[in-house]
Amino acid sequence: MIAHVYVHAPFCARRCVYCDFAVTVNRTPAGATWLAAVSREFGTLRAWGDAPLAPELDTLYVGGGTPSLLDPRLVGRLPAALGRGNRNAGPKRDGPETLEWTAEANPESFTEAVAREWAAAGVNRISFGVQSFDRATTEWMGRLHSPSDAEAAVARARTAGVDNLSLDLIFGLPDTVSRSWETDLHRALDLSPPHVSLYGLTVEKGTQLFRDVTSGRTPRPSHARYQEEYLLAAELLADAGYEHYEVSNFALPGFASRHNRAYWSGASYLGLGNGAHSFHDGRRWWNEREWEEYAALVAQNGHGRAGQERTSPKRSRLESVWLGLRTAQGLEVAGRSVDRVVRRWEARGLATRDDTAVRLTPLGWLLLDDLAVELDLALQPVAHPPPVDAPADRANLST
Amino acid sequence: MPTDRIRNFCIIAHIDHGKSTLADRLLEATATLDSRQMRDQVLDSNELERERGITIKLHAVRMTHRAEDGRDYVLNLIDTPGHVDFAYEVSRSLAACEGAILVVDATQGVQAQTLSNLFLALDAELEIVPIVNKIDLPGAEPERRRHEIAELMGIDPESVLEVSAKDGTGVEAVLEAVVDRIPPPAGDPSDPLRALIFDSYYDQYLGAVPSVRIFDGTLRPGMSMTFGAVDARYEVTQVGHMRLGRVPSASLGPGDVGYVVAAIKAVSDTRSGDTILDAADRAGELLPGYQEVRPMVFAGLYPSESDGYEELRDALQRLRLNDAALQFEPETSRALGFGFRCGFLGLLHLEIVQERLDREFDVKLVSTVPNVKYEVVMADRRRIVVENPSMLPDRALVESVAEPVVSARIVAPSAYIGNVQRLCHERRGAFKSMSYLDPHRVEMEFELPLAEIVLDFYDRLKSGTRGYAALDYEFLEYRPGDLIKLDVMVNREVVDAFSVIIHRENAYHHGRALVRKLRELIPRQQFEVALQAAIGNQIIARETVKAVRKNVTAKCYGGDITRKRKLLERQREGKKRMKQVGSVEIPQEAFMAVLQLDGERA
Ligand SMILES: Nc1nc2c(ncn2[C@@H]2O[C@H](COP(=O)(O)OP(=O)(O)O)[C@@H](O)[C@H]2O)c(=O)[nH]1
Ligand code: SF4
Repeated sequence: MIAHVYVHAPFCARRCVYCDFAVTVNRTPAGATWLAAVSREFGTLRAWGDAPLAPELDTLYVGGGTPSLLDPRLVGRLPAALGRGNRNAGPKRDGPETLEWTAEANPESFTEAVAREWAAAGVNRISFGVQSFDRATTEWMGRLHSPSDAEAAVARARTAGVDNLSLDLIFGLPDTVSRSWETDLHRALDLSPPHVSLYGLTVEKGTQLFRDVTSGRTPRPSHARYQEEYLLAAELLADAGYEHYEVSNFALPGFASRHNRAYWSGASYLGLGNGAHSFHDGRRWWNEREWEEYAALVAQNGHGRAGQERTSPKRSRLESVWLGLRTAQGLEVAGRSVDRVVRRWEARGLATRDDTAVRLTPLGWLLLDDLAVELDLALQPVAHPPPVDAPADRANLST
Repeated sequence: MPTDRIRNFCIIAHIDHGKSTLADRLLEATATLDSRQMRDQVLDSNELERERGITIKLHAVRMTHRAEDGRDYVLNLIDTPGHVDFAYEVSRSLAACEGAILVVDATQGVQAQTLSNLFLALDAELEIVPIVNKIDLPGAEPERRRHEIAELMGIDPESVLEVSAKDGTGVEAVLEAVVDRIPPPAGDPSDPLRALIFDSYYDQYLGAVPSVRIFDGTLRPGMSMTFGAVDARYEVTQVGHMRLGRVPSASLGPGDVGYVVAAIKAVSDTRSGDTILDAADRAGELLPGYQEVRPMVFAGLYPSESDGYEELRDALQRLRLNDAALQFEPETSRALGFGFRCGFLGLLHLEIVQERLDREFDVKLVSTVPNVKYEVVMADRRRIVVENPSMLPDRALVESVAEPVVSARIVAPSAYIGNVQRLCHERRGAFKSMSYLDPHRVEMEFELPLAEIVLDFYDRLKSGTRGYAALDYEFLEYRPGDLIKLDVMVNREVVDAFSVIIHRENAYHHGRALVRKLRELIPRQQFEVALQAAIGNQIIARETVKAVRKNVTAKCYGGDITRKRKLLERQREGKKRMKQVGSVEIPQEAFMAVLQLDGERA
């Protein structure tokens, strides 16, 4: 059974300099086509048996792109498109029994109408792409909202009755962008969002930023600034009562995102729309990245699948280690070579350990990839690898 | 076969002048093999040799030729390796011949290796049949080349043959010249047996099979044979000649070239240059020129993954079955774990062994920088031999350290005299003499520490002379020098695999260049890494590898774990190839860093 669904809404009004997401720039997005394609894809997967949804979904996440750019009624029709009828619809209080329905919004397109329609449809969590409250910085990023837009958007959500809000901020910008990270953090905290996500800027191939950095117009973002700002945020947010529950996510008690947790706990999830990824029954599959190609493929074949793989014990070990170390809960591991590795981490302040799990500190999270690989190698069976289909690695390793 | 119908010869040439092509043509013209069979099966039987275009192992092929006088002759073509590492083996194969065909490219003329090879052949008192090859090429100047060669050898230009090994022009004339000009071997079939071993190979079923040239007496199955240098007896089970594979014959008599099968355990018993004797009737005198193979170059070979030790040991043992020059013994390195200190004839030999281990045995290796063997006199007068630089005892306990010095001959176009002089001077060489071979070519003699040659001397020499220089050297003596051990410390611990023995004058410069290079090669770690070069307790250079501050891409958007995992898998592969020294991970290339200092050495 799959209890977590991600739907990708690929349209943006403009492309941000650092963005390499599966996005189509279009001020008047093809909303109806989009909903039809997603519905059709779902229908096909269900017919194949790849989309056995649980009777009660646990989470539904509409990400992008910029979902707030769409006609809000289309977003409201998603549950129906997933064969949910109206059972999940309607505003409900947050709680473990209820659907966590998140939609992403950019401040400038999160109008009153969007707030109202979404809330009425049952969206009960909104994640705002704020990135910065500094005008020069958002301009540099190529974003369309001003600092006051962000504050107004938060107010509109609350007025519409959605209190479970998350703000996304980006840190680790190039040194030429003179933004005060600390000021941005304080302005975010002033809005008392129950959830904050922080993303370090990365220079991805194919982006404007990549071209600027490789041509020398923009300096490469420094690792020193990245480290400094990450540690500062971890400290400030912890002081403000937020739990740093995952490498880039902070929440007031009770407001951790259930959807994100599904990704790193190994739960099944279904992804619909271009570029979306799914995981179910030991298989991962993913869709055509570009919206146009995806749409054409769905029109032709009823689905947009571009590839798939089976998880193997070796693969899933590396994944579980990496995913487990992302979380504050940590990773349960045992073994002599593991002990040796973890003791070294502890000595350097990268991790803590108690009887149940190894947990990375913010300093350790900065080296997450490195540490995950190191731990995975320490877990490698030396002499006799376990038989291939037995989920043997999981025996002493759970997140 | 009466000896006056036998001709034993080899072909010598500068690389690419057409030695192999001519050999193909001769085998075709004598209907011994067609050229495809030959390429595939005989002369280049080793894949590595074919790829590198060098002959590592010697081979001999027997041809029969009906000459213009109407009589049939046996022509034994003995192949020779072409590299200084194997100079001794070359000299042994030349010793098996009475003559040599000297091949010169009609477009390029006499080149450095032409000379080195020619001198070796003259030393062996061989009759030389000079030919100008590739006369079919548009740029060929056969007339000019003939005069050049004639002048060099002091002979009549008319006696230089014109050949195109490619289209076959002149090949018959070459065969006639071999019959006419090269003297037949001498020897008495009834004398006590003396057979020269000039090569041997290991066969899985037959054991070590030596290639031999009979000088006196007769070798036949059923005899009990023994060796001059090895005390062992074997019963001869088969003798014969090489054609396409082995062709058994009743016996081998004086002048004959062939093989012997006698269930010999390993090629360490069939040493090049040794004499095979009749155990029942030992000849009074051995054939001249035998030398023990002495490894000149040493290096530590370690499995790159920690569980590969046994595999490496088995592979070395099997390689040694057909490479008598390879020596090895177990050693332990703090940095690299369990491995072997191996001795080689020279750098090429080292490379060949590394490559064969990789290709034929699929053993992945980390190798230390090659070094020479030092003779150390301790303060208490004890003498020890150091084959691994990290084992050089503390300075206070040492009276003197001596290193091998070679006499090196460099042949190069005169335009590069300055470059060659400069390089040899940098490498602590002493200039001995220089003479013009012709208006454009000089031969220079230097005494050089072998340790300097072992690093990257040959490459530097080549690049300083646009590839024209040829180098040849022979061991001269051990000479004491102001030699000290330079250590490298990684986070304050000496890493034995980085230690080098070096002349005091070069130590500072070298130490600085080395840690600078290591700083580039060692990736950032989770903590700062201090790199120091030290002589005894004295630190002479220091560099720092800064700590990595960030290695995370936090967002896994839309559940795309596959892409992320692939990135992590790549990182994992990189990490696996690192050697863990204390808590520092050192990439395998770093252990060869000394060889990458290029211009930076003093
Ligand atoms: N045109 C021409 N090319 C030749 C002749 N002999 C050899 N070659 C070419 O020269 C190159 C080197 O020849 P090879 O026999 O491999 O040289 P080796 O290194 O001396 O054994 C090859 O590409 C041959 O095909 C010749 O007589 N004429
Ligand atoms: S709004 Fe988000 S998805 Fe759209 S271009 Fe910017 S970063 Fe990319």
